[in-house]
Amino acid sequence: MKETQITWTGMDLAIEGELTIPMVSLVLKQAGQLLELHAQPDLSVDLSRVEKIDTAGVVLLETLKNSAAAKNIRLHWTRIPAFVDQAMTTFSGKKDSKGTPGPPREASVLARMGNFAYDVGHHLHDLFYLIADTFYYSVQNLTKRHGQRKGEFTNQLVLIGMNAFPIVGLVSFLIGLILALQSAAQLRQFGAAIYVADLIAISMTREMGPIMTAIMLAGRSGSAITSEIATMVVTEETDALKSMALNPVQYVLVPKFYAMTVAMPLLTILSVIIGILGAFVIGLTYLEIGLEPFYNQVVSALFLKDIITGLVKSVVFAWLIVILGAYHGFRVRGGAAEVGKATTASVVSSIFAVIFADSILGLIFYLGQTIDI
Amino acid sequence: MNESRHIVEVSDLTSGYEDIRVLDNVSIHAPSNQITIILGSSGCGKTTLLKHLIRLLQPWSGSIRLFGQEITELDEPEFNTILRKIGVMFQNGALLGSMSVAENVSIPLEQHTDLNDEIIRKLVEIKLDLVELGHAIDRYPSELSGGMRKRAALARAIALDPPLLFGDEPSAGLDPVTSAGLDELILKMRDQLGMTVVLVSHEVASIKRIADHVIFLDRGKVLFCGPLKEARSAGIQKVDDFFSKG
Ligand SMILES: Nc1ncnc2c1ncn2[C@@H]1O[C@H](COP(=O)(O)OP(=O)(O)OP(=O)(O)O)[C@@H](O)[C@H]1O
Ligand SMILES: [Mg+2]
Repeated sequence: MKETQITWTGMDLAIEGELTIPMVSLVLKQAGQLLELHAQPDLSVDLSRVEKIDTAGVVLLETLKNSAAAKNIRLHWTRIPAFVDQAMTTFSGKKDSKGTPGPPREASVLARMGNFAYDVGHHLHDLFYLIADTFYYSVQNLTKRHGQRKGEFTNQLVLIGMNAFPIVGLVSFLIGLILALQSAAQLRQFGAAIYVADLIAISMTREMGPIMTAIMLAGRSGSAITSEIATMVVTEETDALKSMALNPVQYVLVPKFYAMTVAMPLLTILSVIIGILGAFVIGLTYLEIGLEPFYNQVVSALFLKDIITGLVKSVVFAWLIVILGAYHGFRVRGGAAEVGKATTASVVSSIFAVIFADSILGLIFYLGQTIDI
Repeated sequence: MNESRHIVEVSDLTSGYEDIRVLDNVSIHAPSNQITIILGSSGCGKTTLLKHLIRLLQPWSGSIRLFGQEITELDEPEFNTILRKIGVMFQNGALLGSMSVAENVSIPLEQHTDLNDEIIRKLVEIKLDLVELGHAIDRYPSELSGGMRKRAALARAIALDPPLLFGDEPSAGLDPVTSAGLDELILKMRDQLGMTVVLVSHEVASIKRIADHVIFLDRGKVLFCGPLKEARSAGIQKVDDFFSKG
């Protein structure tokens, strides 16, 4: 294919060759250079030697005109061949421009701040309603059969709880093992090797167990909740539920909320036990502590308060993951691409929320403790 | 004419998405015990209008009355009572992807009746047979063709024999034989169950077969709302074009 050329013919320009998709960027580049050097307010462009034109060619001509106008140059097409003229009428986008929005206006800083504040307010408002709905229906569903999906709780319990068990177990075992290994080296120097048991028992129960389980579930179940709900929104399944007088929060979310509330503390307990087992492996092999002294040490180190701390945390984390997962799912608008984005946003925000809540709860429990004394 | 005889009554409805106006002062009605067809070119606002009728969208202004009640003013439990008298078939089916066809059709039966599982299963089978999907009863929506999904959605919409049925292009994209079968079904539901039916449709052949009343939309405005016979003699260019080209 011959390359399209823009050439000077005296005071005018002429386009020679095809105005088709492969030529568009070439012509735009040439025209850009030519217009750069040009200073007159009017310029004629001879189109008589255009050989072929397609939709992209028509758009190209329009673009040229606009970019010239931006440099205060008026372009005039001259000697337009009949087929080019026809294409320009057929393919010009002008016919139905009523609905298409103009170029986006640059918002002022104040307006943008205002919009931002409005958006944040809007999100908080939606989030608040979602939380209210979730708790309202999760209490109501305990006594009412209507509005829930049969067998869905068990279903979700298996999906969220049972299926997550292997990975949570494995991670907890490794965490216990690593923590024990790291601290053993230090404690051994002081002849305090047996305190590895205390250290791991307390840190697994109060911190690592709940946090690791929550992070695993945020990645596994939080993302699944978001993508399922978001897909339902996009495919109008939530609208269909509403049209059947069913509330999507009640019908879809509440069973997951229940399942999460039950599964998370159970998984956390398992995670703690397996983490301590991991530590015991180090105790046995590296520190040569037997099962009985290790066990006694663990039991004497743990107080009920530690266990309650861990369980309260795990429930709070469960709720954060479900609510944030659902929130990102329900607010999806648009198509399939949005589902992916929502899922990512959900995982990131729920992991952040879990860690943030952990520090707040840590503070609360710590303060509670000091006041006790 | 006594206004309250119409089950569906919309006046001066104006609405749109964000700030783009889609419906402009729409005033329509659908007489009870008749089949009303909403028609108009693609993108003119038919689906949007249907969504307003079940309150999935909030109007900018205007009033929407179903069964004589102003639905824009009802609270959720009150509106849910009305929704239970309505079956809705969405344009793309909107079957729940995590449930089989049978489970989908049984949702309204399970949620809004106290029938036992055995009866529900029988009813589901009957409804699916009516739309000729008896063979696909335990399949999942992802395993159905587009036309099958629509028919399953129709079965779900008529699961409770609702007095009012809304359908968004139930027969679009179906072969003429299946489509004629659906027309038969809709006629039967009007005649035997006294159902009021409001459908969106483009199929001129099917409209001629079943419509009592037509609503013709054009770019968000109502061109015509009245009996089919009058539509064809009303002398409105776009309406004539529609019937002659179909
Ligand atoms: N969710 C949405 N957001 C923004 N605009 C929308 C949305 N849904 C529909 N529209 C716009 O509203 C107008 C009417 O759409 P609607 O779906 O009601 O058309 P329709 O008459 O049902 O068309 P069809 O026959 O193709 O189904 C269209 O211009 C469409 O672009
Ligand atoms: Mg539509």
